[in-house]
Amino acid sequence: MTEKKTSKQMLNELVAQHYADAGKAKAEGKLVAWATSICPQELLEAMDIYVVYPENHAAAVAARKQSMDFLERSESCGYSIDICSYARVNLGYKDIMESDACNIPAPDLVFCCNNICTTVAKWYENLATELDIPFILFDTPFNHRYEAADHTIAYMRGQLEHVIGQLEEITGKEFDYDKLSEVMRISNETAYWWRKACFTARANPSPLNGFDMFNYMALVVCIRGKKEGRDLFRLWYEELEERAKKGLGPWKEGEEKYRIIWDGIACWVHLSPTYKILKKYGVNVVTSLYPDAWTIFYETNDIEGMARAYSYYHANRCVDYVSDTMLGLAADFNIDGVVFHSNRSCKLMDFTVYEQQRRLEEKAGIPSVVFDGDMCDPRVLSQAQYETRIQALVEMMERRKAAKEGR
Amino acid sequence: MYLGIDIGSSSSKAAILDDKGALIAHAAVNEGTGTKGVERALELVFDEAGVEVDTVKFTVVTGYGRITYEHADKQITEISCHAKGVSYLCESAGSIIDIGGQDAKVIKIGANGIVENFVMNEKCAAGTGRFLEVMARVLGCDLSDLSHLAGQSTKEVPISSVCTVFAESEVISRLASGEKRSDVAKGAHRAIAKRVSGMCGRVGLKDCVFMTGGVALNSNMVKTMGETLGREIKAAPYPQEVGAIGAAVFAKELYEKA
Amino acid sequence: MLKETIMKLEERALNPAKAVASIKAECGKDAVGCFPIYTPEEIVYAAGFVPVGLWGGRTEIKMADKFLQGFCCSIMRANMELGMRGVYDQLKAIIIPGLCDTLKCVIENWKTAVPQVPMIGMVYPQARWNRAAEEYLEAELKRVRSDFEKATHTLITDKNVEEAFAVYEEYRAAMREFTEVACDYPLIIDARTRHLLIKAGYFMDKKLYMEEIKKVIDGLKAMEKEAFHGVKVITTGLIGEPAEILDLFRECEISVAADDIAQESRQFRTPARKEGSVWEKMAGRVIDQRGCAFLAEQKKSRGQMLIDMVKEREAQAVIVCMMKFCDPEEFDYPVYKAQLEKAGIPVLYLELDQQIESFEQIRTRIQSFAEMLI
Repeated sequence: MTEKKTSKQMLNELVAQHYADAGKAKAEGKLVAWATSICPQELLEAMDIYVVYPENHAAAVAARKQSMDFLERSESCGYSIDICSYARVNLGYKDIMESDACNIPAPDLVFCCNNICTTVAKWYENLATELDIPFILFDTPFNHRYEAADHTIAYMRGQLEHVIGQLEEITGKEFDYDKLSEVMRISNETAYWWRKACFTARANPSPLNGFDMFNYMALVVCIRGKKEGRDLFRLWYEELEERAKKGLGPWKEGEEKYRIIWDGIACWVHLSPTYKILKKYGVNVVTSLYPDAWTIFYETNDIEGMARAYSYYHANRCVDYVSDTMLGLAADFNIDGVVFHSNRSCKLMDFTVYEQQRRLEEKAGIPSVVFDGDMCDPRVLSQAQYETRIQALVEMMERRKAAKEGR
Repeated sequence: MYLGIDIGSSSSKAAILDDKGALIAHAAVNEGTGTKGVERALELVFDEAGVEVDTVKFTVVTGYGRITYEHADKQITEISCHAKGVSYLCESAGSIIDIGGQDAKVIKIGANGIVENFVMNEKCAAGTGRFLEVMARVLGCDLSDLSHLAGQSTKEVPISSVCTVFAESEVISRLASGEKRSDVAKGAHRAIAKRVSGMCGRVGLKDCVFMTGGVALNSNMVKTMGETLGREIKAAPYPQEVGAIGAAVFAKELYEKA
Repeated sequence: MLKETIMKLEERALNPAKAVASIKAECGKDAVGCFPIYTPEEIVYAAGFVPVGLWGGRTEIKMADKFLQGFCCSIMRANMELGMRGVYDQLKAIIIPGLCDTLKCVIENWKTAVPQVPMIGMVYPQARWNRAAEEYLEAELKRVRSDFEKATHTLITDKNVEEAFAVYEEYRAAMREFTEVACDYPLIIDARTRHLLIKAGYFMDKKLYMEEIKKVIDGLKAMEKEAFHGVKVITTGLIGEPAEILDLFRECEISVAADDIAQESRQFRTPARKEGSVWEKMAGRVIDQRGCAFLAEQKKSRGQMLIDMVKEREAQAVIVCMMKFCDPEEFDYPVYKAQLEKAGIPVLYLELDQQIESFEQIRTRIQSFAEMLI
């Protein structure tokens, strides 16, 4: 019997596997789709289309400090430096198709769900136009109220039915509903274990280091519908649960002094310094809105439930909902403060940050800071400025703790 | 005689062509619009040419100060004038990279120095001469020494910030962490070259590329620009005065057409 | 007579606050604010209000910083600022369509920032090639009617909407005629006047505005076409402002032969379908709109549309009025730029925001472009 692998080993292997398989699929003549990170990939997988995720790829490229070449390429085509850097990296990559970091094969179709933002629809429209390939858009109208209206649900259901027709046309095959049920079931299970693992961080100290969560997140995006993914997240959960039982904190050295929520996407391109500066002050990211992002739960074969689930991704919901969720997390995870990433790439997340910040303060007295950064563009973050913000947050958290303990 | 004047944001230039179109004088003064720089440049250029002001048949003014300058027969933009001037000095010129104090421009030139296409930097000062001025200040040297300093670099220090303000603090912290001044200086040149090379991509470069503007006097900048673009880049002859020369060429053309 | 009408309309467009204040006296109606890009103004008109366009304006941003970062589009920052300052308090309601990520956030922030002005947020469908999108939009328009009735304590019958829609169709036809006729009079209707005449319609009862614009059309038609030796261009982008850039157009002898500007022709270039209920027709206009950055397409048609416009109007070039930080417009640009360049059509890119103080660099760009083309 071989020695049991850790979830981290499995993670790295599976990520490498994912990219290798994509290349292989393409070489074997299988169809490849480029898709947005939280889309009903179930439909594609059911039709045996290999799905890769440009956002994920861009993050991987940025994390290995390779994003500049692609950013410069797309900027020289006329893309403004002010638009999403995932898009800029990918639109540059579309032309170059070669990175030392990792590679994805050229797409035969693009599949976009705009529940994460309107921007992805613009980006994918460009890909479809310039590559002259089919553009499948699953449009999930923004929920300005708590619940989706009936006509919104009907629209989304109608689209999914239409998408199935489009996929049949593209693949020349009849839609495989059995396979869909199977993928739906596994996706639900993966989501279950992902969430359960992330929620071990409720323990005090948290066995989970939030930056690990960012790493594992890469995988929940790309192999949500596969058994290997589900097994990995179950294993990860077991490891974390074990650590929690032993009372182990997030790091080998140093104690978890402050527990925070990280709001927004990680600075992939400055992952290490943004992490180290937090750790230096004993600040652990115990959660974010992401643990729930892939908890797309619905009954197997319930297309309407699936539509609703995708539409309820937090970036597609009103400020009231997000604020309530964040306050819920803050209570649940015993949060001391929040770091908001004012991400030059993501206007949708940024332009409600100030309001979220005020609500946290008013309703729960939770201090927070906002820092300027970007997920893939290395030119935005100023490390010195970031550290100053984190220090300021630490001072506020310390004051609040002292007041609570009557010091 | 035909007179060309270029009133920039931080310098004033003038040039004179004789009736046959030969360049007989040119001068640059490091005082820009709103100063007495123009008068000084004119004085220099008339002295050099040894001609009287009243022999001038036609005057064209260019540069940021062109709108408010009242003594010219016509005002034409520095983009058209740079293209005209470079083409006058070197017939085979295909493209121009002009890095001035506030603006950077990339110009594609057609036959007889006409502008085929151009791009300018956006509002941000990254990629302009202003960026180098800030860097020189932080590195504690004169702007004119920056090129020499960068030339001594053995290990380039990348500067990632686009924003001039952020870049300044980035450079300060790089120096504080023990990086060599020369390596940081080279990094600053690279940062500009990268910004400008993005603009080159937008407009497309033709063969035979010249750099103009005061920054082209910085030989390391020309070199770094060439390295970044992966092609040969030359400084134009009289890079600072080329706009004024182009204006003088226009003056002759316009006078003869009228 | 023509000159007077033009001046009257220009005056309107240049003084939106004054214009809105005079609406009540003019026609006895209250005003309702309509955000960019598209709103179902017919519903507002059917309820007996005058829809007014809220497209930002020059203002010092002090309060909007409480909600929006500096890298937010200047129109939305201005609207937020004006709302928070109470400038919109006289409006009976406002409608905001969530057509981009920034607009979605503005809808959300408005609820807290400007609670005194009732706001109706709405969401247009993007997968427009799908029949379900039309049904959704009809239902969404009816939902807006219902919320609007609640907010303004009115009753809006289908018949009211039909009448309003007919007025708007007539208005849109008049505007299409105006832009076509104006093309032959590039001196009287220079870039700035053209923009202001169109804009004036956003601060008047459409019926009254139509009388005026028809006077302009008739006045022009009675004159001989103007000889023009400058450069004819097609403009494209969100908005052709600040108006100072249009003064520079005139100075450099550039005239606008036709536009693909969201605040101008995109509002009226798509006629309604002949068949169907008024709701189907209203939805159909949005479904049928082509080449707009705010409405997705399976393949982008904007580049070819611009090429066709250049040919049809015998223009020489395209000028891009790029509102800084406008994602949808910024995403479209590289694609149509490449297509235009391939077709040999020169493109001038102007990066603009509403709070620009200095026009020197823009002047250099515009003048160089004109020098290049003449």
